[in-house]
Amino acid sequence: MVEQVGAALVIGILLGCLYAVVAIGLSLIFGIIRVINFAHGSIAILFMYLGFLLWRLWGIDPYLSIIIVVPVAFAFGYGVQYILVRPMFVREKTYVVEPLGVLLLLCGLDLVISNGILLAIGPYALAVTNPYISGVIQWGGFLTISVPRLILALVAVGLCFGLFWLLNRTELGNSIRAVGQNREAAAICGLNVHHIYALAFGLGCAVTAFGGCVMLPFYGIYPQMGIGLAIKAFIIVVLGGLGSVPGALLGGIIIGVVESVASQFMPGTMALIISLVLFLIIVLLRPRGLMGTIEV
Amino acid sequence: MAILEVSKVTKRFGGLVAVHDLDMRVDEGEILGLIGPNGAGKTTLFNLVVGYYQPDGGRIVFQGHDITSLKPYEVCQRGIARTFQTTKPFMDSSVLENVVIGGFMWSHGTAEARKTALKALGMLELDDRAETLASELTVPDRKRLEVARALATGAKLLLLDEPMAGLTPSEKAHTADLLRRVSEQGITLVIVEHDMKVVMTLCSRIILMDRGEKLVEGTPQEVSSDPKAITAYLGVEYAA
Amino acid sequence: MKQGTGIGALAERLRRRQIPSGWIVIPVLLILLVILPFVWKQPFYVNIFILIFLFGYLATAWGLVGQSGQLSFGHAAFFGLGAYTSTLLYTQVGVSPWLGMLVGAVVAVIAGAIIGYPTLRLRGVYFALATLAFCVILQIYVRNTQFLGPLTLGASSGLWITPYAGAKGPLFYQFASKTPFYFIALGMLVGVVSLSHLLNRVRLGYYWRAMRSDPDASESLGINVGRYRLMTFLLSCALTALGGSFYAQYFYFISPDRVLDISLSVEIVLVGVVGGWQTVFGPMIGAFIIIPISHIISAQLGSTLFGLHIVVYGIILMLFILYLPRGLNIPVMRGLRWLEAKLQRQPESSSDKPRRKPSGYTGS
Repeated sequence: MVEQVGAALVIGILLGCLYAVVAIGLSLIFGIIRVINFAHGSIAILFMYLGFLLWRLWGIDPYLSIIIVVPVAFAFGYGVQYILVRPMFVREKTYVVEPLGVLLLLCGLDLVISNGILLAIGPYALAVTNPYISGVIQWGGFLTISVPRLILALVAVGLCFGLFWLLNRTELGNSIRAVGQNREAAAICGLNVHHIYALAFGLGCAVTAFGGCVMLPFYGIYPQMGIGLAIKAFIIVVLGGLGSVPGALLGGIIIGVVESVASQFMPGTMALIISLVLFLIIVLLRPRGLMGTIEV
Repeated sequence: MAILEVSKVTKRFGGLVAVHDLDMRVDEGEILGLIGPNGAGKTTLFNLVVGYYQPDGGRIVFQGHDITSLKPYEVCQRGIARTFQTTKPFMDSSVLENVVIGGFMWSHGTAEARKTALKALGMLELDDRAETLASELTVPDRKRLEVARALATGAKLLLLDEPMAGLTPSEKAHTADLLRRVSEQGITLVIVEHDMKVVMTLCSRIILMDRGEKLVEGTPQEVSSDPKAITAYLGVEYAA
Repeated sequence: MKQGTGIGALAERLRRRQIPSGWIVIPVLLILLVILPFVWKQPFYVNIFILIFLFGYLATAWGLVGQSGQLSFGHAAFFGLGAYTSTLLYTQVGVSPWLGMLVGAVVAVIAGAIIGYPTLRLRGVYFALATLAFCVILQIYVRNTQFLGPLTLGASSGLWITPYAGAKGPLFYQFASKTPFYFIALGMLVGVVSLSHLLNRVRLGYYWRAMRSDPDASESLGINVGRYRLMTFLLSCALTALGGSFYAQYFYFISPDRVLDISLSVEIVLVGVVGGWQTVFGPMIGAFIIIPISHIISAQLGSTLFGLHIVVYGIILMLFILYLPRGLNIPVMRGLRWLEAKLQRQPESSSDKPRRKPSGYTGS
């Protein structure tokens, strides 16, 4: 019994890192632009599909396709912010926009992307077989960990550290954080706020795409999975704290563990309901989340 | 008779102490001036009184009731209304509608709220522009709209945050007259203001704040001759 | 009214032909719609109009929350709750759906209170996220659940609205032809739009305008923003649930994929946005435009090209947000003003110069 829960715990942490990888990008985008990217789920799977296609058409292993997919994701994210979202800011002549209009805009984008994928590829579930790295690690006779999942967890932590280094130890990161803290002041200091917004969006997409590629070796994809991932990511971002990247990792792990342990004792659908209840409790008691700094 | 008593109120933002152990008394019916350099904590004090921020220490008592932990809408229901330094009118609504929204605070029904609103607009001489969209108003008019809206809530105490900022001297004199009229209705005013000429003539009492603390308190004459006030804020020209 | 009220003023305005065009357009429209099912008897047309009325109703009910300054992405959840509640009570317990739909409304209000109370007090996106999550999670739950206590939920196979024992007929919300449904739907639409219009004229409507313009300033004027938003949301949930019960009775079949799906939420949002989602008449206008188009698209292409019509929805949504964020309501209102101006006899004085009316409240 203890071993079962222990195993569930470990699986949960690995699962949590998977969710976190999607949530980190979302949290970053919100932290800088103050916009919840409603299209995040479908963007995540868009680049997973891209990675899949690279494997299917040209045999590029997902771990390698990172080199191609991540820059494309960055450019895509940059474009989305600069071309679609920026006009909303410009129209309002502010740097912080009443969020509802942008929400609707990104919702529309989400529909276009996820159903565009459906249209182009069909409703089938697809999976990568024979990735470069596969196999399992056995531990103690009761714990079986799939190696690709472990790698994903390490990648999640690595991305977290990488972003931390980027945001806190580089000139660019300072600019980004400055914009995130006070847009007008940053603009007065000569920073191009909209360019930085676009960078942030691109970065958020790139991080998510990175994680997505690392998910491909073990995670099958289908067009409707975007919304499920997105909802988990939203819950995690609120739990961990809007705008906090380490918070997203922590939140992801918590949700992953809760789901994994709970599904030992009750059917899977109940585990989802628990996540929703957890979300409501957090919002009730501490809306800014565990590590969030943004006042609500 | 004190209508508002602020006792030992403190507010910290992280490492910054915005308001430190402040005591303040506002007497019923007076016009109290709150002056001080930028960053002295004047707006923070307003925000604390109306419940926008919660103090880290101290008490705020209004008409004998402790309002320290109340939320902004509850504070307004008790009878305190405030205006904002950067005006916040409801842009897509007309001047009249803006004030009617304030008027619903103590009027029942739309007709009564409109009456209250028109009265408030009349007192601030905005009734001829009742149907104008708030977004089309000039800055002095917006400032007056803020005051009218706050007035319509039936508040006994108005906290006015820089109601004269950005106005020309004649506009300031005119607005000061309007405020005097409001005060004659029995409403207590606390005004944050930087223009010393206005403050000297309009206010019966002045409090000077600096760096979150109360520095000097008294009548305009007392404050303008106080050496602390001169060095901290006033400069030698205003010395009595 | 700025020209004063009372019979004298009314007569004066009639003399000068200063009639709000609404007084003409609406009765004409109503008369046309009432005659329609007797003139155009084909069920195809009656069906389209029923759908238009239903979505106009749903979008208007959804739009109430928009008028208070928040955005719900999960309204399908309350629609489904209404549909399932009245259906379960009817087909498995024998309760008339007229009663069952009220129970459905209560269920929706309870669910809405749980979701709305923590989130509507806060700024920003918490509410939108919560409603979205709720809708998706509810659908997954029902898809995977065959039984709920003594009741059969049917999981993804759904439920047929088969009468319980001998409980048939109008008393049990069942009719032989489409026509009664047509009039019920029309009545619902007229009712909810009238409700929206009336609410805008009383304190709640004024508070709506304040809250969606500036919640902070509203709080400083004594408005408990969270509470009014919650009240509005609960009203919206109840109304939406009633719509769900109607759907169940009209279509005879419900399933998680039809009544709890996010695409239904999307369609409601789209109808609202196209028409003008923070206005009284906007959502209804949106329904008259979008539903026929959507019907045509999904009839022609929906079965062959999966997902195309939602891609189109997404594009339309984005285009409207970017270029026509206030929706088609604006051009329609402009058209009505033009009509008013044409009708009006020119007055002797020129004091009635055309002035842009505050969009605070005129239905625009």
